[in-house]
Amino acid sequence: MDKHLVTRTFRSMFLILLVAALTLGGSTGCKSKKKLAREKAAAEYAARVDQAKKDLNAILNDETTWTLKEKEQRVKTIKNWNLDDSEVLELIDRVEDKLARERAEAERKAEEERLRAEEEARLKAETSKYGNLEGMLRSVASSPDFATANDRISQTLQLFATPDVPVLIIISQAGGFNDYDRPTTIRKYLDYLKDQKNFNNRIEQVKYDSNGKITELELIKR
Amino acid sequence: MKHIIIIIIAALALTTSVKAQDELSPERKQAIDSLALEKVRDLSKYVSIIGNKNTPWSEANRVIDRAEELFMAGAEIGVSSLARTDIFYYKVRTYFERLMRLNYDRVEIEWYKIEYVSDLQRQPDGTYVGVITIFQRFSGYDQEGGLVYQDTTKKDITVYVKRKETQIGGRMIGFWDVLLGDIRVKETSS
Repeated sequence: MDKHLVTRTFRSMFLILLVAALTLGGSTGCKSKKKLAREKAAAEYAARVDQAKKDLNAILNDETTWTLKEKEQRVKTIKNWNLDDSEVLELIDRVEDKLARERAEAERKAEEERLRAEEEARLKAETSKYGNLEGMLRSVASSPDFATANDRISQTLQLFATPDVPVLIIISQAGGFNDYDRPTTIRKYLDYLKDQKNFNNRIEQVKYDSNGKITELELIKR
Repeated sequence: MKHIIIIIIAALALTTSVKAQDELSPERKQAIDSLALEKVRDLSKYVSIIGNKNTPWSEANRVIDRAEELFMAGAEIGVSSLARTDIFYYKVRTYFERLMRLNYDRVEIEWYKIEYVSDLQRQPDGTYVGVITIFQRFSGYDQEGGLVYQDTTKKDITVYVKRKETQIGGRMIGFWDVLLGDIRVKETSS
């Protein structure tokens, strides 16, 4: 056999084997990468399912320190994972119900707080509006003796058109309308403050005549 | 027969409707409960002022007028004493005038434990009637400041609350008129 021929044959076979090895080796490596990717994806999915269950159960059992907004954001993230796990889906339903109730409660409290702040602001405005008159009524009630009280009553009466100006006292505002105590006059009401030594109302409304004198006083029980 | 059943059902519905209109909400009921209690507390203060020997005569008379306005016409107040078993009843004005003239140099009258023993109940005529009990501690002193007489009396006050209307400044005002009835002595002890 020609030595040159043998060398060429070996070279050719080596090349064929090399190509075959590369081809087979490459194919096997590609398959392994896909498998790894699948395994990695499966592991990630399982981890997400575990994480989702853990977070959702924690929300359901109030075991988190998250705010309502953070809890809602967490549920949104979990839903975006599109986990096809029956337990997770059921937990999402339950958590969404719970968060809806919490949201409604939070909104109710916020509304209550808003109304309370509004009422406080209104009372503050009215207190300063009628501050002088209220101060005079209070000073009659806190008089140390009859003589002082009578002086203060005389001063207070100067603000009114007559001593017979009606004084109305609201005892209840339930059901959209006012219930009143028996109407009295400013003279009698000031005597009442002198005797009882207690002013436990606030001024609701004052009506004036063209001379700036009070013609009607409406109070409300505190 | 069918007509009779319809009439009975209609009558029942009407009765229920009228009853529902008459019933006060708990908030409004609470407000009139408190109002009646407040009137008794006001009376307590008036009694103390009238009985106080330091109260100027003109002021005591004025306070008697105010106190009298708290009562129904013809109401009576019971007076007891440890020295006798009888209880005397006086018209309201007479009671206060006697109280003003009691023969002591100093008088202290304190009312406490003012509370309902019978809640306000609606009567067929629309008046709410209840009973409030009070304990009165009476102490009379002589010129030297020595205690001459002292007793504690438990008294029951009947209260009547009725809704009324009056016109003020061209508008109708609905108000609850609280009037006190008889004050009955229940127990007296030293």
